[in-house]
Amino acid sequence: MSQPTAPIIHIQSLAKSYFRETLEIPVLQGLDLDIPAGGFYALMGPSGSGKTTLLNLIAGIDRPTGGLLEVCGSNLNQLNDDELASWRNENIGFIFQNYNLIPVLNAFENIELPLLLTSLTRAQRKEKVEEVLSLVNLMDRRENYPRQLSGGQEQRVAIARAIVGNPKVLVADEPTGALDAKNADEILEMMQRLNEEFGKTILIVTHDPKAANCARHQVHLEKGILDKTVEVNR
Amino acid sequence: MVLFVGFILVLFAAYLAWLIYAAIKFPLPFVYNLRSLWGRKSSTLTTASAISLVVAIFIVVLSLAQGISKAFVTSGLPNQALVMRPSSRFELNSSITRDQARIIKSNPLVAKDNMNPIASAEVIVIKLFNKSDGVGSNITVRGMEVTGRSMRPQVKLVSGRWFQPGLSEVTVPVKMQLRFPELVVGRSFKMGGRQWDIVGTYDAAGSSFDSEIWSDVNDVMQAFKRETYSTVLVRLRSEDDLGPFTLQMEEEKRLKLEAVPERSYFKELTKAGDPIRIIGNLITVILSIGAMFSAMNTMYASVASRTKEIGTLRALGYRRREILASFQWEAIALCVLGGLGGSLLSFLADGIQTGTTSFDTFSDISFAFTITPRLLAQGLFFSVGMGILGGLLPAWRASNIPLTEAMKA
Repeated sequence: MSQPTAPIIHIQSLAKSYFRETLEIPVLQGLDLDIPAGGFYALMGPSGSGKTTLLNLIAGIDRPTGGLLEVCGSNLNQLNDDELASWRNENIGFIFQNYNLIPVLNAFENIELPLLLTSLTRAQRKEKVEEVLSLVNLMDRRENYPRQLSGGQEQRVAIARAIVGNPKVLVADEPTGALDAKNADEILEMMQRLNEEFGKTILIVTHDPKAANCARHQVHLEKGILDKTVEVNR
Repeated sequence: MVLFVGFILVLFAAYLAWLIYAAIKFPLPFVYNLRSLWGRKSSTLTTASAISLVVAIFIVVLSLAQGISKAFVTSGLPNQALVMRPSSRFELNSSITRDQARIIKSNPLVAKDNMNPIASAEVIVIKLFNKSDGVGSNITVRGMEVTGRSMRPQVKLVSGRWFQPGLSEVTVPVKMQLRFPELVVGRSFKMGGRQWDIVGTYDAAGSSFDSEIWSDVNDVMQAFKRETYSTVLVRLRSEDDLGPFTLQMEEEKRLKLEAVPERSYFKELTKAGDPIRIIGNLITVILSIGAMFSAMNTMYASVASRTKEIGTLRALGYRRREILASFQWEAIALCVLGGLGGSLLSFLADGIQTGTTSFDTFSDISFAFTITPRLLAQGLFFSVGMGILGGLLPAWRASNIPLTEAMKA
C-alpha cells in the first residue's frame, strides 16, 4: 500500500479581504483545498468569485488575511517580501493572459530573465533557454522581439519563461483568453504535455470550458467560497 | 550648515556606492534600461537635450573661471618679485619713486646680467578703447624698461617689432585684436595727449599679459606727467631669496615697501573671476533644478507606462531594491546621455577669446574659454548627480508599486 503524498498546495481556512478605508470587503472566506503534486486544476467561477485572488495567493503575489497557506513546503505567511520573491523565482512559473513579455527584450532574453536570479553561469543559462525554446518550437525565433511574434508565439515564449527555471508549480491566468481557437488549442496541448510528461502542477484560472476540460480537476468558486471540486473525465 | 551639507554628501556618496554595487551584483541587465530609453526616443531625446544644455552651461561657466585662472596663474615666474607700495594690493594703486627704484635695483639679492640688475621699473595706466560691439572697455597700458620684456619669457613677438623707447610706440597682444578692432599694426591712437603708433603684436601664451598694451616706461610717464613708477619687477638670484628680499624691502628705512612673489600677486588676481563664477553657478543651479524635474517627469511617465513590466519582473522574483537600482540607473543613463551631449556642445566654446572687467583693476582681462578633460569629467559627474536626484523618486515609486496593482495594470 503506497503512502499518501503530502499535497504540494495545502490551504486551510484561507481568507482574504480588501479594505476600502474602514470598509472590509471579503473576497475569500474559510477556503480549504489540497492540491497534490502533479495535479492539473482549473479554477472556475463567475467574475468576482475570487479565482484570480486565490491564484495570486497561491503564487505568492498577494498575502492572505487569515488561514494557512502552504505551497511547495513553505508557509507563505511566514516569508518576508524578499524571501517571497526568491520563493516565487524557485517554485512558481507564471503564464499571463496578455503574455507580459518585456517588449524591449528578445525571446531569448525574456526567457532568460528568471535564470538571471540564479547562480547559473552564462553558458548554463544559454543551454537551459535553448532547451525550452526547442520544447516550445521557437528556436528560430529566439532573436525576435515580442512585436515580431504572433500572439500564439508570444504565449509560447511566456510558457518557456515560466518553465525555464524548472518550477514545481505553474500558474496561468486565462492563458488562452487573448488567443484564437487554433493557438488556444496549441497552448492547452502544451500545458497538458507539461503536466503529463514533466509532472508540473498546474493551476489555471479560466472562463473557457474547453480550457477547463484540459485540467483533471475543476474547482468552482462562488462568492469567495469553495462551491465544489469536480474530477474531469478526459 | 557645514555639518548638514556634509551629512547630505555622505548620504549621496553612500547611495552612489550602493548603486555601483547594485550595477555589479544585481541581475537585471542594463541593456533593458538602455533599450527602454531608446524605445521612447522622443521623450528621451527631449530630456537629454535639456540636460545637455545645462551641462554645457555648467562646463562653459567653469571654463570661464578656468580661463581667468590660467591667465593669472601662468603669468608669474617663481624667482621674481613685484615691489609695491605697502597695502596697495594692485599695481595700479602703487607708487614708487625713482630713488626707491634705484635702491631696489641695487639690492645684492637681485640677479645680474652682465653686471646689470635684472629688474624693470614699470608704470601702469589705463586707457579706454572701443570693443568690436562698440562698447568701451579699459585696457591696462604697461610702461616698462627693455629688461621687462626678457623677464616675461612666455611673451613672444608675433608680428611687426617691439616698441622703441622715445618714439611713443606700443606693441599690442594679438589675442585682443579680435575684440578691439582699433589695435591694428600700422594704426595709431591718442593717449595722454600724444599720438601712439602700434608697431607690433605679441602672444603671451594665455597669461594676463595678453590683456595689456606694452610701451616704454619713460614715454608713458612723460605722456601722463607721472613722477613715480607703479612697481619694480625684480628677478632674484634664486627662489630661496624671496623671503630675505621681502624682509629687506620692509625693513630698509629708505624704502618701507612691500615685495610680493610675482606668482602670489597674480594668484590673488584670479579672484577677478569670482563674480562670473558666482553668477554662472547661480544660473547653473536654477537650470539644473529645471533639468532635474524634466528627468523626473520623463522617468515618472516611464514608470507609469511600464507598471505591468515592473509587476512581471517582481512576479518572476526580482526584489524591490533590484527594481529601484534598475530604474535609478536608467535615470542616470538618461542624464549621462545629456551630459555627453553637453560636453560635446561645450567644445564649441573651447578656445574662444573673450574678456571681462576686473573690479580690482577696472580694466579688461582677456582670456580664452578652456575646456579641459577635468572640466568634462566634472560635467559628467554633474549629470550623474542630476540623474540620481531626478531619478530617485520615480525609481522609488517603481520599486514600491504593490505587486497586485502592478499585475492588474
